[in-house]
Amino acid sequence: MDGLNASEQREFSARMERKQLKEFMTMYSKMVQRCFDDCVNDFTTKSLINREETCIMRCVDKNLKSSARLNERFQEQNAAMMQSGSMQR
Amino acid sequence: MSFLFGGAPKMSSAEKIAAAETEVEMISDMFNRLTESCTKKCVPADYREGDLNKGESVCLDRCVSKFFDVNIKVSEKMQGEAAGKQGGGMGLM
Repeated sequence: MDGLNASEQREFSARMERKQLKEFMTMYSKMVQRCFDDCVNDFTTKSLINREETCIMRCVDKNLKSSARLNERFQEQNAAMMQSGSMQR
Repeated sequence: MSFLFGGAPKMSSAEKIAAAETEVEMISDMFNRLTESCTKKCVPADYREGDLNKGESVCLDRCVSKFFDVNIKVSEKMQGEAAGKQGGGMGLM
């Protein structure tokens, strides 16, 4: 990622911003699908019932927390791997 | 991961940006796959509470660590295989 000059850096940042937006949308739609699949199985009513709503709130909460935790560990491991050079020539 | 591209001598701007982009893409792709696997393995789909409990948290931590281990093992194995085929041309690791 080093060795980019200022204008290259700008182009790179612009692309990363677009990518981040896309990733966020993907994350959102995955979350909807996961929580729908895990929480909503009863179609005897038209709207979400209480139980389903509680489940969905917990599902979102828990998945956000687990992805934050995974991200922390991932950063640590990734940094350690880069530093130790275990994947270096 | 810069080790793949670090050695290239002269690259155009477009190439350099593309290389940097590929690097980020590889890492974020790895993270997405890890998230998918570890969530599936560690977080049960009955949402009794909104917080991660102790067992789930520990499981996630260990899962990340093992995912990295597997990555390294596979990469070593495949590089060994490639080196074997080329008559030991590249002594990696």
